[in-house]
Amino acid sequence: MKTPVNSSFLNRTFSMGMLMSFFIALYLSLATTVVQAELKSSHQSGSVAFSGQHAGMNFEGKFERWEATLTLPPQSNPSIIATFYMSSAKTGDSIYDSTLPEFDWFDVENHALGKFVSTKIEMTEEGYQVLGDLTIKNITQPVNFMLIDSQDQLSTSFGINRLDYKIGWESDPDAEWVSKTIFISMVINK
Amino acid sequence: MTPSLQRYHSLSIVLHWSIALALLFMFASGLYMVNADISKADQYRVFQIHKASGVVILWALILRIGTRVFTQAPALPDSLNPQQVFKAKLGHIFLYVALVTMPLSGWLMVSASPFGLPTFVFVDWIKWPHIPGVARNKTLQVLANNVHWITAAILATSIVGHVGAFLWHKKKHNINLISRMWWNKK
Ligand code: HEM
Repeated sequence: MKTPVNSSFLNRTFSMGMLMSFFIALYLSLATTVVQAELKSSHQSGSVAFSGQHAGMNFEGKFERWEATLTLPPQSNPSIIATFYMSSAKTGDSIYDSTLPEFDWFDVENHALGKFVSTKIEMTEEGYQVLGDLTIKNITQPVNFMLIDSQDQLSTSFGINRLDYKIGWESDPDAEWVSKTIFISMVINK
Repeated sequence: MTPSLQRYHSLSIVLHWSIALALLFMFASGLYMVNADISKADQYRVFQIHKASGVVILWALILRIGTRVFTQAPALPDSLNPQQVFKAKLGHIFLYVALVTMPLSGWLMVSASPFGLPTFVFVDWIKWPHIPGVARNKTLQVLANNVHWITAAILATSIVGHVGAFLWHKKKHNINLISRMWWNKK
């Protein structure tokens, strides 16, 4: 009489184990989805660069300090929020690097941070179409860009008019020396 | 009695001729970058070189005037009459003033410029400061710009006069004043 009981007990422990591992698996998969839902990035895992022309010569620089949090569709309430430290913008050219923080350019003393906050994100074939507000020097302007989704990277490049943000407003309002359009490009490693 | 001094201090001589050479470069680069039909990139590059070299000349001029003040200058030849001596001295003082005005007005112009571009003296670790309190002062910039080119014209004329005086004395009185500004064996 004992044997069947034993075997059914064994069976039950076995199915309990199955059930537990199912829950653990479910929990784990949910946990990973949560991690994927909110993607955090920064200068340590990606890059935010800017480029343009000065005196007809190309220049390029990057923000050495920034942070971004991305929640992308199909997650509900998708959003992208990025903050970059204006004083961390570096081109490697000593003349540019000592001019950029100044009053007429980034005015880092009064506006330490630049910010991007999305207003709308739509999934597309290549990735995401992003609309949002870019704030530099306390001036907010709408921008929109394609965030391209490749296997392990999200990337974008779009132009802004520096004069929209009063960057170099006094020094070079006619873009005689520094191009009006400055390209911003961003790479986020997933 | 110590024999009368024949020439200027060696440091004065070195500085006199290096500054003379550097001035040629400053005139050439200044006129070129302002007037020549060159690309913005080249203009920008020559501007930076002109600024950096001008700052070095300012240092050299300070050293030059210091050397002049703290060392003994050779007396002018006896053959010159008092009026000529007076004119020579006045002419030399005038040259010094015009010389110093050049880099100072350049420095003021750059410091007051709306661009606010810094001056690096050829290397990234020597950043020559702007004159404080004049940033983005358009009026001062224009003023300094005018002083810079007008003084350049006056200086150029004075240098011609300076060389002319040397030639005139050589021809007319057969005195070789250049030996005062060189190491002559004698
Ligand atoms: C002994 C020293 C110097 C000499 C002989 C000299 C000579 C000249 C000359 C001949 C010009 C052309 C003027 C014209 O055609 O308008 C010029 C322009 C200029 N110089 Fe100098 N310079 C000297 C020092 C400096 C220094 C120290 C600076 C700045 C740190 C400077 C900055 C400039 C600038 C910015 C211009 C362009 C002005 C413009 O945009 O019209 N210079 N210089």
